[in-house]
Amino acid sequence: MTPEQKNVLIDHLDESLRGKASANLEEIVGNDPEAEKEWNYLRLAVDAVKEAGLYQEVSAARTAWKAEATNAAATIAAATGAASTTATATTAKVRPLYRVSLRAAAIILIITASASIYKYFSVSSGSLYDRYYSGYNLSTTRGAGDTDPVMDAYNAKDWNAVRQLAATAKTRTNQTDFLAGMACLEQKQYDEAISHFEQIIAVNTHAGTDLYQDEAEYYLAISWLARRNVNEAMPILEKIRADQHHKYHEKVERMSFFDLRLAQYKENK
Amino acid sequence: MKAEVTYTDAELIEAISDGTDLNRAIQFIYRQHAEATSSFIRHYGGSEQDADDIFQDAVVAFIDVVKKGKFRMESNVRTFLASIAKNCWFNELKKRERAGHRNKQFEMSRPQDEPDVAEHINEIERKKQLRDLVDGLGESCRKILLLFYYENMTMREILYHLPYENEQVVRNKKYKCLQQLTGLIKDNPAVARQMQEIIK
Repeated sequence: MTPEQKNVLIDHLDESLRGKASANLEEIVGNDPEAEKEWNYLRLAVDAVKEAGLYQEVSAARTAWKAEATNAAATIAAATGAASTTATATTAKVRPLYRVSLRAAAIILIITASASIYKYFSVSSGSLYDRYYSGYNLSTTRGAGDTDPVMDAYNAKDWNAVRQLAATAKTRTNQTDFLAGMACLEQKQYDEAISHFEQIIAVNTHAGTDLYQDEAEYYLAISWLARRNVNEAMPILEKIRADQHHKYHEKVERMSFFDLRLAQYKENK
Repeated sequence: MKAEVTYTDAELIEAISDGTDLNRAIQFIYRQHAEATSSFIRHYGGSEQDADDIFQDAVVAFIDVVKKGKFRMESNVRTFLASIAKNCWFNELKKRERAGHRNKQFEMSRPQDEPDVAEHINEIERKKQLRDLVDGLGESCRKILLLFYYENMTMREILYHLPYENEQVVRNKKYKCLQQLTGLIKDNPAVARQMQEIIK
Protein backbone atom coordinates (compact mmCIF):
# COMPACT_ATOMS: atom_id res chain seq x y z
CA MET A 1 0.00 0.00 0.00
CA THR A 2 1.19 3.50 -0.73
CA PRO A 3 1.47 6.01 2.13
CA GLU A 4 -1.47 7.91 0.58
CA GLN A 5 -3.66 4.81 0.67
CA LYS A 6 -2.63 4.27 4.27
CA ASN A 7 -3.61 7.85 5.06
CA VAL A 8 -7.08 7.20 3.63
CA LEU A 9 -7.38 4.24 5.97
CA ILE A 10 -6.23 6.39 8.88
CA ASP A 11 -8.94 8.94 8.07
CA HIS A 12 -11.54 6.19 8.08
CA LEU A 13 -10.20 4.89 11.39
CA ASP A 14 -10.31 8.34 12.98
CA GLU A 15 -13.84 8.90 11.80
CA SER A 16 -15.02 5.56 13.12
CA LEU A 17 -13.31 6.20 16.48
CA ARG A 18 -15.17 9.48 16.81
CA GLY A 19 -18.50 7.90 15.96
CA LYS A 20 -18.76 9.11 12.41
CA ALA A 21 -19.88 6.70 9.70
CA SER A 22 -17.35 5.82 7.02
CA ALA A 23 -19.47 4.59 4.16
CA ASN A 24 -16.96 2.98 1.81
CA LEU A 25 -14.70 1.44 4.47
CA GLU A 26 -16.15 -2.06 4.07
CA GLU A 27 -15.62 -1.77 0.34
CA ILE A 28 -11.95 -0.85 0.76
CA VAL A 29 -11.09 -3.32 3.52
CA GLY A 30 -13.39 -6.14 2.42
CA ASN A 31 -12.04 -6.36 -1.13
CA ASP A 32 -8.35 -5.95 -0.39
CA PRO A 33 -6.56 -8.38 1.99
CA GLU A 34 -3.57 -6.07 2.20
CA ALA A 35 -5.81 -3.17 3.23
CA GLU A 36 -7.50 -5.38 5.80
CA LYS A 37 -4.13 -6.32 7.26
CA GLU A 38 -3.06 -2.68 7.37
CA TRP A 39 -6.39 -1.76 8.98
CA ASN A 40 -5.75 -4.27 11.77
CA TYR A 41 -2.25 -2.93 12.34
CA LEU A 42 -3.61 0.61 12.56
CA ARG A 43 -6.21 -0.44 15.11
CA LEU A 44 -3.52 -2.17 17.14
CA ALA A 45 -1.39 0.96 16.98
CA VAL A 46 -4.27 3.07 18.29
CA ASP A 47 -4.86 0.52 21.07
CA ALA A 48 -1.18 0.85 21.97
CA VAL A 49 -1.45 4.65 22.15
CA LYS A 50 -4.55 4.47 24.34
CA GLU A 51 -2.80 1.96 26.59
CA ALA A 52 0.24 4.24 26.89
CA GLY A 53 -2.06 7.17 27.76
CA LEU A 54 -3.87 5.22 30.45
CA TYR A 55 -0.58 3.99 31.90
CA GLN A 56 0.68 7.57 32.02
CA GLU A 57 -2.46 8.74 33.80
CA VAL A 58 -2.29 5.94 36.38
CA SER A 59 1.40 6.65 36.82
CA ALA A 60 0.56 10.29 37.66
CA ALA A 61 -1.98 9.15 40.28
CA ARG A 62 0.62 6.81 41.76
CA THR A 63 3.12 9.65 42.03
CA ALA A 64 0.50 11.89 43.66
CA TRP A 65 -0.42 9.18 46.14
CA LYS A 66 3.22 8.68 47.07
CA ALA A 67 3.77 12.42 47.36
CA GLU A 68 0.86 12.92 49.79
CA ALA A 69 2.74 11.60 52.81
CA THR A 70 5.91 13.45 51.84
CA ASN A 71 3.99 16.71 51.39
CA ALA A 72 2.34 16.38 54.78
CA ALA A 73 5.74 16.00 56.43
CA ALA A 74 7.09 18.96 54.45
CA THR A 75 4.18 21.17 55.58
CA ILE A 76 4.99 20.44 59.20
CA ALA A 77 8.66 21.14 58.57
CA ALA A 78 7.74 24.52 57.09
CA ALA A 79 5.43 25.35 60.01
CA THR A 80 8.11 24.45 62.56
CA GLY A 81 10.65 26.57 60.68
CA ALA A 82 8.30 29.57 60.60
CA ALA A 83 7.69 29.33 64.35
CA SER A 84 11.39 29.38 65.14
CA THR A 85 11.96 32.30 62.74
CA THR A 86 9.23 34.29 64.47
CA ALA A 87 10.67 33.55 67.89
CA THR A 88 14.07 34.81 66.73
CA ALA A 89 12.45 37.99 65.41
CA THR A 90 11.35 38.97 68.93
CA THR A 91 14.94 39.74 69.81
CA ALA A 92 15.15 42.53 67.22
CA LYS A 93 15.38 46.15 68.31
CA VAL A 94 12.08 48.05 68.61
CA ARG A 95 11.29 51.72 68.45
CA PRO A 96 10.06 53.32 71.75
CA LEU A 97 6.71 54.43 70.27
CA TYR A 98 5.58 50.85 69.70
CA ARG A 99 7.41 49.33 72.63
CA VAL A 100 4.37 48.40 74.75
CA SER A 101 2.34 46.79 72.01
CA LEU A 102 5.38 45.03 70.60
CA ARG A 103 6.24 43.77 74.04
CA ALA A 104 2.76 42.29 74.37
CA ALA A 105 3.06 40.76 70.91
CA ALA A 106 6.48 39.39 71.82
CA ILE A 107 5.06 37.80 74.98
CA ILE A 108 2.29 36.16 72.95
CA LEU A 109 4.84 34.95 70.42
CA ILE A 110 7.10 33.60 73.13
CA ILE A 111 4.18 31.77 74.71
CA THR A 112 3.17 30.40 71.29
CA ALA A 113 6.75 29.44 70.50
CA SER A 114 7.13 27.80 73.92
CA ALA A 115 3.90 25.88 73.39
CA SER A 116 5.13 24.82 69.94
CA ILE A 117 8.47 23.76 71.35
CA TYR A 118 6.76 21.84 74.17
CA LYS A 119 4.46 20.23 71.60
CA TYR A 120 7.39 19.40 69.38
CA PHE A 121 9.32 17.68 72.12
CA SER A 122 6.37 16.01 73.83
CA VAL A 123 4.80 14.46 70.73
CA SER A 124 6.29 11.15 69.67
CA SER A 125 5.03 7.93 68.22
CA GLY A 126 5.29 6.38 71.70
CA SER A 127 3.21 9.11 73.30
CA LEU A 128 0.66 8.80 70.48
CA TYR A 129 0.45 5.08 71.10
CA ASP A 130 -0.19 5.71 74.80
CA ARG A 131 -2.86 8.24 73.88
CA TYR A 132 -4.69 6.13 71.29
CA TYR A 133 -4.29 2.54 72.40
CA SER A 134 -7.29 0.94 74.01
CA GLY A 135 -7.77 -2.80 74.36
CA TYR A 136 -10.17 -4.83 72.28
CA ASN A 137 -13.24 -6.03 74.12
CA LEU A 138 -14.20 -9.33 72.57
CA SER A 139 -17.34 -10.05 74.57
CA THR A 140 -19.15 -6.90 73.47
CA THR A 141 -18.43 -7.26 69.80
CA ARG A 142 -18.74 -10.97 69.10
CA GLY A 143 -21.62 -13.38 69.69
CA ALA A 144 -21.63 -15.45 72.84
CA GLY A 145 -22.36 -18.65 70.96
CA ASP A 146 -19.00 -18.88 69.20
CA THR A 147 -16.69 -19.15 72.19
CA ASP A 148 -13.59 -21.31 72.05
CA PRO A 149 -10.56 -21.78 74.33
CA VAL A 150 -8.68 -18.89 72.70
CA MET A 151 -11.64 -16.58 73.21
CA ASP A 152 -12.08 -17.77 76.79
CA ALA A 153 -8.42 -17.10 77.53
CA TYR A 154 -8.69 -13.70 75.87
CA ASN A 155 -11.74 -12.74 77.92
CA ALA A 156 -9.84 -13.87 81.04
CA LYS A 157 -6.95 -11.61 79.92
CA ASP A 158 -4.62 -14.59 80.10
CA TRP A 159 -2.35 -13.28 77.33
CA ASN A 160 0.22 -16.10 77.60
CA ALA A 161 -2.52 -18.69 77.18
CA VAL A 162 -4.01 -16.81 74.19
CA ARG A 163 -0.66 -16.80 72.41
CA GLN A 164 0.10 -20.41 73.25
CA LEU A 165 -3.36 -21.66 72.21
CA ALA A 166 -3.21 -19.66 68.98
CA ALA A 167 0.24 -21.01 68.18
CA THR A 168 -0.81 -24.61 68.71
CA ALA A 169 -4.31 -24.35 67.18
CA LYS A 170 -5.00 -26.98 64.55
CA THR A 171 -6.45 -24.45 62.13
CA ARG A 172 -5.17 -20.93 61.98
CA THR A 173 -8.00 -18.46 61.44
CA ASN A 174 -8.14 -14.69 61.24
CA GLN A 175 -9.78 -14.70 64.67
CA THR A 176 -6.97 -16.64 66.35
CA ASP A 177 -4.42 -14.45 64.58
CA PHE A 178 -6.21 -11.32 65.69
CA LEU A 179 -6.54 -12.39 69.32
CA ALA A 180 -2.91 -13.53 69.35
CA GLY A 181 -1.94 -10.13 67.90
CA MET A 182 -3.89 -8.33 70.62
CA ALA A 183 -2.31 -10.51 73.30
CA CYS A 184 1.12 -9.60 71.90
CA LEU A 185 0.17 -5.91 72.02
CA GLU A 186 -0.91 -6.25 75.64
CA GLN A 187 2.46 -7.85 76.41
CA LYS A 188 4.30 -5.17 74.43
CA GLN A 189 5.58 -7.71 71.89
CA TYR A 190 4.99 -5.29 69.03
CA ASP A 191 6.87 -7.08 66.24
CA GLU A 192 4.89 -10.24 66.80
CA ALA A 193 1.64 -8.27 66.95
CA ILE A 194 2.50 -6.64 63.61
CA SER A 195 3.19 -10.01 62.06
CA HIS A 196 -0.22 -11.35 63.18
CA PHE A 197 -2.14 -8.33 61.88
CA GLU A 198 -0.27 -8.33 58.58
CA GLN A 199 -1.05 -12.01 58.19
CA ILE A 200 -4.78 -11.27 58.51
CA ILE A 201 -4.60 -8.52 55.89
CA ALA A 202 -2.59 -10.73 53.54
CA VAL A 203 -5.02 -13.62 53.94
CA ASN A 204 -8.03 -11.37 53.32
CA THR A 205 -6.41 -9.72 50.32
CA HIS A 206 -5.55 -13.08 48.95
CA ALA A 207 -8.89 -14.73 49.57
CA GLY A 208 -11.08 -11.68 48.92
CA THR A 209 -12.58 -11.90 52.42
CA ASP A 210 -12.74 -9.23 55.11
CA LEU A 211 -12.87 -11.18 58.37
CA TYR A 212 -11.24 -9.05 61.09
CA GLN A 213 -9.89 -6.83 58.30
CA ASP A 214 -10.90 -3.50 59.87
CA GLU A 215 -9.69 -4.58 63.31
CA ALA A 216 -6.38 -5.79 61.90
CA GLU A 217 -5.81 -2.55 59.98
CA TYR A 218 -6.50 -0.34 62.96
CA TYR A 219 -4.42 -2.32 65.44
CA LEU A 220 -1.64 -2.73 62.88
CA ALA A 221 -1.39 1.07 62.71
CA ILE A 222 -1.45 1.26 66.52
CA SER A 223 1.29 -1.41 66.67
CA TRP A 224 3.46 0.62 64.28
CA LEU A 225 3.01 3.63 66.57
CA ALA A 226 4.07 1.50 69.51
CA ARG A 227 7.03 0.33 67.45
CA ARG A 228 7.91 4.03 66.96
CA ASN A 229 7.40 3.83 63.21
CA VAL A 230 4.87 6.50 62.23
CA ASN A 231 5.83 6.20 58.57
CA GLU A 232 4.25 2.75 58.47
CA ALA A 233 1.24 3.78 60.57
CA MET A 234 0.30 6.90 58.62
CA PRO A 235 -0.84 5.34 55.30
CA ILE A 236 -3.07 2.91 57.19
CA LEU A 237 -4.58 5.65 59.35
CA GLU A 238 -5.08 7.86 56.27
CA LYS A 239 -6.84 4.97 54.55
CA ILE A 240 -9.14 4.38 57.53
CA ARG A 241 -9.90 8.09 57.75
CA ALA A 242 -10.84 8.15 54.05
CA ASP A 243 -13.16 5.16 54.40
CA GLN A 244 -16.38 6.20 56.10
CA HIS A 245 -17.55 2.59 56.25
CA HIS A 246 -14.49 1.44 58.18
CA LYS A 247 -15.31 0.23 61.70
CA TYR A 248 -12.60 2.43 63.16
CA HIS A 249 -13.29 5.46 60.98
CA GLU A 250 -14.73 7.58 63.80
CA LYS A 251 -11.95 6.63 66.16
CA VAL A 252 -9.30 7.62 63.63
CA GLU A 253 -11.22 10.76 62.71
CA ARG A 254 -10.83 11.90 66.34
CA MET A 255 -7.05 11.46 66.24
CA SER A 256 -4.85 14.50 65.86
CA PHE A 257 -3.27 14.19 62.43
CA PHE A 258 -1.21 17.25 63.20
CA ASP A 259 0.43 15.40 66.08
CA LEU A 260 0.84 12.28 63.94
CA ARG A 261 2.54 14.27 61.17
CA LEU A 262 4.67 16.07 63.69
CA ALA A 263 5.82 12.71 65.05
CA GLN A 264 6.40 11.54 61.48
CA TYR A 265 8.47 14.63 60.74
CA LYS A 266 10.59 14.05 63.84
CA GLU A 267 11.03 10.44 62.87
CA ASN A 268 12.21 11.34 59.37
CA LYS A 269 14.62 14.05 60.50
CA MET B 1 -8.04 20.25 53.30
CA LYS B 2 -8.70 18.84 49.81
CA ALA B 3 -12.11 17.18 49.49
CA GLU B 4 -11.74 13.54 48.55
CA VAL B 5 -14.42 11.76 46.57
CA THR B 6 -15.45 8.28 47.64
CA TYR B 7 -17.20 5.71 45.48
CA THR B 8 -19.04 2.47 46.03
CA ASP B 9 -17.91 -0.32 43.70
CA ALA B 10 -20.87 0.33 41.40
CA GLU B 11 -20.18 4.07 41.30
CA LEU B 12 -16.52 3.43 40.59
CA ILE B 13 -17.35 1.14 37.66
CA GLU B 14 -19.73 3.78 36.33
CA ALA B 15 -17.16 6.57 36.68
CA ILE B 16 -14.56 4.54 34.77
CA SER B 17 -16.97 3.40 32.04
CA ASP B 18 -18.26 6.92 31.66
CA GLY B 19 -14.68 8.25 31.54
CA THR B 20 -15.62 11.80 32.47
CA ASP B 21 -13.66 11.87 35.71
CA LEU B 22 -11.25 8.99 35.30
CA ASN B 23 -8.44 10.73 37.12
CA ARG B 24 -10.43 11.12 40.32
CA ALA B 25 -11.53 7.50 40.10
CA ILE B 26 -7.91 6.37 39.77
CA GLN B 27 -6.90 8.47 42.78
CA PHE B 28 -9.70 6.86 44.77
CA ILE B 29 -8.49 3.38 43.77
CA TYR B 30 -5.05 4.28 45.07
CA ARG B 31 -6.31 5.68 48.37
CA GLN B 32 -8.65 2.78 48.91
CA HIS B 33 -6.82 -0.30 47.70
CA ALA B 34 -3.12 0.37 47.15
CA GLU B 35 -1.95 -0.19 50.71
CA ALA B 36 -3.66 -3.55 51.25
CA THR B 37 -2.51 -4.93 47.90
CA SER B 38 1.01 -3.59 48.32
CA SER B 39 1.28 -5.14 51.78
CA PHE B 40 0.34 -8.47 50.22
CA ILE B 41 3.14 -8.17 47.63
CA ARG B 42 5.62 -7.18 50.34
CA HIS B 43 4.44 -10.13 52.43
CA TYR B 44 5.44 -12.40 49.55
CA GLY B 45 8.94 -11.01 49.23
CA GLY B 46 8.40 -7.97 47.01
CA SER B 47 10.09 -4.65 47.62
CA GLU B 48 8.12 -1.42 47.96
CA GLN B 49 8.99 -0.62 44.34
CA ASP B 50 7.77 -4.07 43.22
CA ALA B 51 4.52 -3.56 45.11
CA ASP B 52 3.97 -0.15 43.51
CA ASP B 53 4.74 -1.43 40.00
CA ILE B 54 2.52 -4.46 40.35
CA PHE B 55 -0.36 -2.42 41.77
CA GLN B 56 -0.03 0.04 38.89
CA ASP B 57 -0.31 -2.81 36.37
CA ALA B 58 -3.33 -4.13 38.24
CA VAL B 59 -5.06 -0.73 38.13
CA VAL B 60 -4.41 -0.37 34.38
CA ALA B 61 -5.74 -3.88 33.76
CA PHE B 62 -8.80 -3.21 35.91
CA ILE B 63 -9.63 -0.01 34.01
CA ASP B 64 -9.15 -1.78 30.67
CA VAL B 65 -11.53 -4.53 31.73
CA VAL B 66 -14.13 -2.06 32.98
CA LYS B 67 -13.90 0.10 29.86
CA LYS B 68 -14.47 -2.96 27.70
CA GLY B 69 -17.55 -3.79 29.80
CA LYS B 70 -16.00 -7.09 30.84
CA PHE B 71 -15.97 -6.52 34.61
CA ARG B 72 -18.38 -8.90 36.31
CA MET B 73 -19.83 -7.50 39.50
CA GLU B 74 -19.83 -10.89 41.26
CA SER B 75 -16.27 -10.18 42.35
CA ASN B 76 -15.75 -6.87 44.11
CA VAL B 77 -13.12 -4.35 43.05
CA ARG B 78 -10.79 -5.15 45.95
CA THR B 79 -10.86 -8.89 45.16
CA PHE B 80 -10.31 -8.30 41.46
CA LEU B 81 -7.35 -5.97 42.02
CA ALA B 82 -5.87 -8.37 44.56
CA SER B 83 -6.20 -11.32 42.16
CA ILE B 84 -4.61 -9.42 39.29
CA ALA B 85 -1.79 -8.16 41.50
CA LYS B 86 -1.20 -11.58 43.00
CA ASN B 87 -0.99 -13.28 39.60
CA CYS B 88 1.23 -10.54 38.19
CA TRP B 89 3.57 -10.95 41.13
CA PHE B 90 3.55 -14.72 40.69
CA ASN B 91 4.56 -14.27 37.04
CA GLU B 92 7.22 -11.78 38.03
CA LEU B 93 8.67 -14.20 40.56
CA LYS B 94 8.75 -16.90 37.89
CA LYS B 95 10.59 -14.54 35.58
CA ARG B 96 13.14 -13.73 38.21
CA GLU B 97 13.75 -17.44 38.69
CA ARG B 98 13.61 -17.26 42.41
CA ALA B 99 10.23 -18.79 42.89
CA GLY B 100 11.30 -21.59 45.25
CA HIS B 101 9.72 -21.84 48.64
CA ARG B 102 7.62 -18.70 48.61
CA ASN B 103 5.93 -19.68 45.34
CA LYS B 104 5.02 -23.04 46.75
CA GLN B 105 3.32 -21.37 49.69
CA PHE B 106 1.67 -19.02 47.29
CA GLU B 107 0.26 -21.76 45.07
CA MET B 108 -0.98 -23.81 48.00
CA SER B 109 -2.89 -20.96 49.51
CA ARG B 110 -4.67 -19.99 46.30
CA PRO B 111 -8.42 -20.07 47.03
CA GLN B 112 -10.79 -21.82 44.64
CA ASP B 113 -13.39 -19.07 44.54
CA GLU B 114 -10.90 -16.53 43.19
CA PRO B 115 -11.97 -14.81 39.94
CA ASP B 116 -10.33 -16.23 36.82
CA VAL B 117 -7.92 -13.54 35.75
CA ALA B 118 -5.58 -15.59 33.54
CA GLU B 119 -6.95 -13.94 30.42
CA HIS B 120 -6.29 -10.48 31.87
CA ILE B 121 -2.77 -11.40 32.92
CA ASN B 122 -1.88 -12.39 29.34
CA GLU B 123 -3.40 -9.13 28.21
CA ILE B 124 -1.16 -7.21 30.63
CA GLU B 125 1.93 -8.82 29.13
CA ARG B 126 0.77 -8.09 25.59
CA LYS B 127 -0.02 -4.48 26.41
CA LYS B 128 3.34 -3.96 28.07
CA GLN B 129 4.99 -4.86 24.76
CA LEU B 130 2.74 -2.41 22.91
CA ARG B 131 3.48 0.35 25.42
CA ASP B 132 7.18 -0.19 24.92
CA LEU B 133 6.71 0.39 21.20
CA VAL B 134 4.90 3.69 21.85
CA ASP B 135 7.74 4.69 24.15
CA GLY B 136 10.08 3.92 21.25
CA LEU B 137 8.55 6.73 19.19
CA GLY B 138 10.10 10.17 19.47
CA GLU B 139 8.67 12.56 22.05
CA SER B 140 6.84 14.71 19.48
CA CYS B 141 5.15 11.67 17.86
CA ARG B 142 4.23 10.23 21.22
CA LYS B 143 2.66 13.52 22.30
CA ILE B 144 0.66 14.10 19.14
CA LEU B 145 -0.75 10.56 19.14
CA LEU B 146 -1.61 10.72 22.85
CA LEU B 147 -3.37 14.06 22.45
CA PHE B 148 -5.40 12.81 19.49
CA TYR B 149 -6.21 9.23 20.45
CA TYR B 150 -6.12 9.29 24.27
CA GLU B 151 -7.19 12.84 25.08
CA ASN B 152 -9.55 12.90 22.06
CA MET B 153 -8.42 16.39 21.07
CA THR B 154 -9.20 17.87 17.67
CA MET B 155 -6.42 19.10 15.37
CA ARG B 156 -7.27 22.65 16.38
CA GLU B 157 -6.94 21.83 20.11
CA ILE B 158 -3.62 20.10 19.49
CA LEU B 159 -2.34 23.32 17.93
CA TYR B 160 -2.65 24.97 21.37
CA HIS B 161 -0.44 22.30 22.93
CA LEU B 162 2.21 21.70 20.30
CA PRO B 163 4.29 24.15 18.25
CA TYR B 164 2.93 23.53 14.73
CA GLU B 165 1.94 26.17 12.19
CA ASN B 166 -1.52 24.96 11.26
CA GLU B 167 -3.96 22.04 11.44
CA GLN B 168 -2.76 20.52 8.17
CA VAL B 169 0.80 20.28 9.51
CA VAL B 170 -0.53 18.55 12.63
CA ARG B 171 -2.59 16.18 10.48
CA ASN B 172 0.41 15.27 8.29
CA LYS B 173 2.59 14.76 11.32
CA LYS B 174 -0.03 12.47 12.87
CA TYR B 175 -0.22 10.37 9.67
CA LYS B 176 3.55 9.92 9.78
CA CYS B 177 3.60 9.09 13.48
CA LEU B 178 0.85 6.50 13.26
CA GLN B 179 2.53 4.87 10.27
CA GLN B 180 5.82 4.90 12.17
CA LEU B 181 4.10 3.10 15.04
CA THR B 182 2.52 0.46 12.76
CA GLY B 183 6.01 -0.01 11.30
CA LEU B 184 7.42 -0.66 14.78
CA ILE B 185 4.61 -3.14 15.45
CA LYS B 186 5.31 -5.01 12.19
CA ASP B 187 9.03 -5.10 12.98
CA ASN B 188 8.47 -6.52 16.47
CA PRO B 189 8.38 -10.30 16.07
CA ALA B 190 6.43 -11.02 19.26
CA VAL B 191 3.72 -8.44 18.57
CA ALA B 192 3.55 -9.27 14.86
CA ARG B 193 3.02 -12.93 15.77
CA GLN B 194 0.13 -12.03 18.05
CA MET B 195 -1.26 -9.92 15.25
CA GLN B 196 -1.07 -12.82 12.80
CA GLU B 197 -3.05 -14.92 15.26
CA ILE B 198 -5.68 -12.22 15.54
CA ILE B 199 -5.92 -11.91 11.76
CA LYS B 200 -6.30 -15.69 11.31
